[in-house]
Amino acid sequence: MTTKDTKDRQYLNVTIVTHSEGKDMPINFKYKKRHEREKPMALDVLLQAQETKLPDLAFRYGCRARNCGVCTIDINGLPRIACRSVVRENDKLKAMSTLPVITDLVVRRDQISRQLRGKIYRNSGGNDLNVDASEDYHELTSCIECYACLHNCPMHKKNSIDPSESDERYEYGNPFSLLKLQTIVMDPVSSNSQKNDAITQAVNLGLDTCLNCPGCKCGIGIDLKGKVVNPLITASKTIADK
Amino acid sequence: MRINLVWKQYDVLVVGSGGAGSNAAETASEMGASVLVVAKDPLSASDTKISEGIATVRASGSEDDSEDTLSENLQLAGGDLPDVNITSAFAKDSQRAYDKVRANGLRPKISAISKSPDPLPLPMGGHTKRRSIGHKNSGVAFGHANWNSIVKDAKIDYKEDCWLVDIITENNKGDTKLIVGALIYDAQRGELLAVVCASIVVASGGLSTIYFPKTDTMRGNTGDSYAIAARAGAELVDMEQIQFLPFCLTSPPAFEGLLGGEPVTASYLGVLRDKNKKVILDGVYLRTRAECSAAIMKAVEDGRGTKNGGAYLDMTANKRAPKSGVYFMKFLKGSLPSAYNNVRQAMNKSESQCEDLWEVRPSAHYMMGGIRVDENCCSVGGSKGLKNEGIVGLFAAGQAMGGLFGANRLGSTSLTEGAVFGQRAGKNAALHARNESAMNRLNKKLFLEKAKKVNSLIGQKGHLHASRIKLTVQRKCWENLGPIRDERRLNKTKLFISQTKKKLKNVKISNNTKWNQSLIEYLELENMLDTAELMAFAALERDGSLGGHVRADRPNISLFSKPYSTIVRFLNDGVDVTRLPRKQTEIKKLIKFKFEEQRKFLGAKILRLMPMILKDRVLEKRYKKIMNIQKSSITVQPGSVEGAVGDRKIL
Ligand SMILES: Cc1cc2nc3c(=O)[nH]c(=O)nc-3n(C[C@H](O)[C@H](O)[C@H](O)COP(=O)(O)OP(=O)(O)OC[C@H]3O[C@@H](n4cnc5c(N)ncnc54)[C@H](O)[C@@H]3O)c2cc1C
Ligand code: SF4
Ligand code: SF4
Ligand code: FES
Repeated sequence: MTTKDTKDRQYLNVTIVTHSEGKDMPINFKYKKRHEREKPMALDVLLQAQETKLPDLAFRYGCRARNCGVCTIDINGLPRIACRSVVRENDKLKAMSTLPVITDLVVRRDQISRQLRGKIYRNSGGNDLNVDASEDYHELTSCIECYACLHNCPMHKKNSIDPSESDERYEYGNPFSLLKLQTIVMDPVSSNSQKNDAITQAVNLGLDTCLNCPGCKCGIGIDLKGKVVNPLITASKTIADK
Repeated sequence: MRINLVWKQYDVLVVGSGGAGSNAAETASEMGASVLVVAKDPLSASDTKISEGIATVRASGSEDDSEDTLSENLQLAGGDLPDVNITSAFAKDSQRAYDKVRANGLRPKISAISKSPDPLPLPMGGHTKRRSIGHKNSGVAFGHANWNSIVKDAKIDYKEDCWLVDIITENNKGDTKLIVGALIYDAQRGELLAVVCASIVVASGGLSTIYFPKTDTMRGNTGDSYAIAARAGAELVDMEQIQFLPFCLTSPPAFEGLLGGEPVTASYLGVLRDKNKKVILDGVYLRTRAECSAAIMKAVEDGRGTKNGGAYLDMTANKRAPKSGVYFMKFLKGSLPSAYNNVRQAMNKSESQCEDLWEVRPSAHYMMGGIRVDENCCSVGGSKGLKNEGIVGLFAAGQAMGGLFGANRLGSTSLTEGAVFGQRAGKNAALHARNESAMNRLNKKLFLEKAKKVNSLIGQKGHLHASRIKLTVQRKCWENLGPIRDERRLNKTKLFISQTKKKLKNVKISNNTKWNQSLIEYLELENMLDTAELMAFAALERDGSLGGHVRADRPNISLFSKPYSTIVRFLNDGVDVTRLPRKQTEIKKLIKFKFEEQRKFLGAKILRLMPMILKDRVLEKRYKKIMNIQKSSITVQPGSVEGAVGDRKIL
């Protein structure tokens, strides 16, 4: 083995796209492996970059264990959960393309939750809480809110993603918002009018876009098309027929 | 560049959107208060969301589970350090508080027989009754409920990506301090928020990040709750009591610090070995977490630590046993599913099959001490614990508060702690704001001074970086304020902190106002330093080992000695330390407790010395028995006393 070989094996070349005041700036970073066989995650690379070459690099993370859902970035243009995505030679790490970038890899997230503000109804104590929820309900509440599903969503694309100074919300929906609404429909504790309200909200967020769409993909494997989008479309038709 | 100051006015400011924060916000809003929630993380992303999702609900398993029983369980586990009024409040409210979380969408499994949520089949260690309820999707299910509670009405205002910088108080009559508001850095918009309010609920979590990467908690736990409250003049209680989990992973980096196992999952034949494979601790499954951590750290200290500064957990004897080995593996995988999942991903096959040794090292998990409050979450102070000797208008809930757990935390109690005390804090914060208008006493100067201080940092020149100093602080805290302590190390910590504080003026801070990472790192670094300093003083005052605090240079504090809590606060540029006497549990109960424990140890010793054939038979029976009772396999919540049965021993 030549020295060059050994050296190459110790490093991994990646591009980190930093961002400041509206401008992207790609930076080449050599990740130093801790041992030859190490397969670092994207978050390991970002942490080492902050420790060495880029002390002020901004990125989100929390649990390092694929639970909190805040570390999502684009790797080579596709949304990935940074703490559990292995990085390969020449990969490009960049902020998610589906949300407005604030600094470096940090995007603004709260315009998504704001679109449901005041619009999701929850039982406030009146109904009997002691009823079992279905497996589907639990599948939906396994969502970690990573926003990977915004990628290629034609409904979400209809929004302008200019960072807004105000507490503005997005007008058009996305798979996550539909999932939250469908959770209300699936909740055994919700009343019929609460369920109907949730379905109407989905329609107002642009559910018709889903009709011509091949469907959305969840970062952790929730069956969004089968358990969220299709049921909402069917239910909205029933309401419309009435 | 200067960051713009934006004025806001609310009745109640809630800091944090985890379990405690969201419960506080919802309750305060229902009481008619105007509420702003701020959090540094996205909405509901918190320790609550990443937890195992097991929650204590009194009388969920049997009718004879009285409030006194639950409260006593907490007292005994906490070495008589907990405040009786606070443990009673916990016992009184647990059902109601839990149902409020359920109303927001948390859906436990409902038993066909009792028509109510069914707790785990066995009482968790330290609980004398079955009352720990598990949930599908673990903490993420709580995350959704908390998210819903804030988003559902348009009444609660919330802002994420906001760092609380400082709490602002004014002196009222005499020495009494009164809340007038807070200064917040809104990184998303690049603004400083001057929030004028009568009540503040601090629900901003713990401090385990001062040991990063040797922790399994969220990144944001930089001790902000404690440092900011203490800078405003609040008293903190039991700050030496931090829970370390001994068997966490050391590599690869992506898994460093995450949980691998608990003493109990090392099972009957598990031992700890140093790098030369010499046994450093046996009977691991009956040991306390603190004992296991101390054994590992002592070996490291003597130069017998493994490559990554830990020790080997050897469970191969369990696996090798011809008959019981199969049961052992089932037990291991079933008891701590998420921890075993970490092991499977991080280690090679022979290791994860327990045919080889695991390299392990302790990690910080939970701060049992915190802001000194009464059972209504009001900041209190002085020898009698009076409100007007605390900060009037300051409330704390969740991991931020102290007084509920003392020297040890029972499993599954923190999620309930967040709900119970979040709701109490929200209610009392709203009530306080009804009678007290901060606008009436608005003194803009106080806010402007704080804002000026932050603005003077923007563009600060220097050759140091806060993100890098943080790494040094984390390393030093680990070495000198970590799972094993002595006077020399604690004094070193004090010295290191004062030296590091002097360096802060040479930290380079960039010029931008929006999401200024160097400013964020700086603010968090300051909080880490203040928190570590207060902990070091508390740790020196507690001059013996007790619960999560291990002193290598002092004996254990006996169960029968007079219990006291430590109180620390900032006073005149220094730290003031006092002791607060606590009430002792009846001697009769303590003796019974001791006796049971001695019996268990003897049994373990006899088993260890038996020949393999006999041992194997006994063990097979035992595993069958555990698994049979539970039908499905048990789940041990990381940090629960069940995970380390021995944790009851030294208390
Ligand atoms: C892996 C793991 C498993 C666990 N399992 C269980 C379990 O099964 N059962 C159980 O009862 N307990 C468990 N615990 C413990 C429990 O999860 C926590 O103690 C509890 O959730 C703490 O709740 P909290 O509301 O006090 O704080 P958190 O939930 O941590 O919330 C803190 C909030 O404060 C915000 N914040 C922090 N600093 C600032 C600042 N300066 N400015 C603004 N906002 C700030 C954060 O963004 C966050 O919103 C577990 C813990 C871990 C780490
Ligand atoms: S639905 Fe899936 S991809 Fe979308 S936010 Fe939830 S977990 Fe992430
Ligand atoms: S199905 Fe609907 S929600 Fe899913 S990607 Fe298509 S438009 Fe978006
Ligand atoms: S850091 Fe929590 S999901 Fe990646």
